Amino acid sequence: MESRETTRNLSYLGVLCVVLLIVPDQVNVYYRSFIMFTMMYVVLALSWNIISGYTGYLSFGHVLFYGVGSYASAILVADYGWNWIPTLLVAAAVGIGVAIVLGYPVLRLKGPYFAIATLGAAESFRILATVWDDVTHGGEGISLPNVENSFSTYYAMMILMIVTILVSYWIAHSRFGVRLNAIREDEVAAAANGINTTLYKMIAFVLSAVFCSMAGAIQANKTLYIDPDTEFFILVTITMKLMAMLGGKGTVIGPILGAVVLYSIQEVVWVAVPQAHLIAFGVFLILVARFMPRGIVGFFVDRGWARKGMVH
Amino acid sequence: MEAAANGIALDVQDLHKDFGGIKAVNGCHLQVPKGKISGLIGPNGSGKTTTFNLLTGVIPPDSGKVIYNGEDIAGLKSYQVFQKGITRTFQITRIYREMTVFENMLSVAYLKIPMQQARQRADELMEFVTLTRLRDEYGGNLSYGQQKLLEFARALMTDPDMILLDEPAAGVNRTLLASLLERIHELQEQGKTILIVEHDMNVIMNHCEKIFVMDYGVNIAEGLPADIQSNEQVVEAYFGRRKTSHAEA
Repeated sequence: MESRETTRNLSYLGVLCVVLLIVPDQVNVYYRSFIMFTMMYVVLALSWNIISGYTGYLSFGHVLFYGVGSYASAILVADYGWNWIPTLLVAAAVGIGVAIVLGYPVLRLKGPYFAIATLGAAESFRILATVWDDVTHGGEGISLPNVENSFSTYYAMMILMIVTILVSYWIAHSRFGVRLNAIREDEVAAAANGINTTLYKMIAFVLSAVFCSMAGAIQANKTLYIDPDTEFFILVTITMKLMAMLGGKGTVIGPILGAVVLYSIQEVVWVAVPQAHLIAFGVFLILVARFMPRGIVGFFVDRGWARKGMVH
Repeated sequence: MEAAANGIALDVQDLHKDFGGIKAVNGCHLQVPKGKISGLIGPNGSGKTTTFNLLTGVIPPDSGKVIYNGEDIAGLKSYQVFQKGITRTFQITRIYREMTVFENMLSVAYLKIPMQQARQRADELMEFVTLTRLRDEYGGNLSYGQQKLLEFARALMTDPDMILLDEPAAGVNRTLLASLLERIHELQEQGKTILIVEHDMNVIMNHCEKIFVMDYGVNIAEGLPADIQSNEQVVEAYFGRRKTSHAEA
């Protein structure tokens, strides 16, 4: 039962891969960028979902992993002349390091306290990037050398997205994931049922950070200019969070759908009503919160059109 | 080892816990017999649930020892106590509301069996507690009695040596309760040690071999059901002093 479902889902992912491989040659640079950034938001929403959707620790500072990833990569490329591809691994390592050091204290906090602590941490990193001139070039930002990368960053993001989807899928359908859900539901009961909650939360936080930092690093090499205010912009956290919630947090397909739908709507609205796009966007979100509080996936589950739970 | 040889599964020695000046548990001593069903009773607020929480690592004791299989497990974390083979249920059920019944069962850690076997075990236990038809329903959609059953079944997933049940009868209908008690006896026959906190005196008096009574954080009496029923101190803890003693005073 379960394995047939997995085979079917993997074949959908295979089809998606083929389409994404063919598309860039067929479209112009605008659409290529559009798809690349959509994929980036799929990665971000899925990463946020690991710690916040599966594990229930609502992170309000996830942009900090995205930011440290982009800075790690940009500094190595611009100041040390590295090729950008190996810098992705450094970005991942930096993301892991920051997640461990930060996770140790903040994962002891719960609910709003965790949210505020992560928000504060992200702001601290923005300020650090602004004042640490010698390394980060401060407020003036970092310009990256222009290499032909509209294709290479596209494919890098595509691979990262596929890996993030696979890892998310594995988590959701494994006992590891069920235990993360148990922590989300009731941490005392989870511990009383043998789950080493501290360790599980840390693993979730690290996994959640690593994809985010790599997405940030690829993005830096696509946009070719970064500064503290854009790389540690709180709106990036809010966007990934909203995407996951729109699609249905705690599921695999939810954040993917949420990212695709929300990013497309954002783009359309921005083009249609550039002066009022944030208002239109806000109204849309209020409607979603009112009529689909558990996201697109929850909307289907509540009507009996999809099965409850992840493991059957 | 010494305790185990004496037929004692869990030896609680001089356990203390203060909550900001309130002595919730104030020098509790329990010698829970191995392979038997024991009951822990006492009026509301006498420290029964706090004792359970101290035994299972939900909160750390201020002082005292909890000897289990020759080892002091006082102060271990919850999941470590669980690893030693002690599982529990809670007074107010703590099932996972946004997870299906099956996922609730499967979430238990340290199963030491492959996924396929774990699924099978979960299915068997769900069948026992008559929750099979609710397998794919969210825990939060279950009635309170069903949640109690789910929590009980979940506590059996690892085949523990000792099971602590905090008010298993509350909210469970009589028919289900009879089958629940039957299963508790089956577990005892398999050699497991069971400790029950319960207000339902029928359950305590008819199913426990040994009873501990707590009041104000200390155990004031212990013994067979018949002894406890006639124990003056116990009657006093539950109903207050007899009028005659007032008159004498």
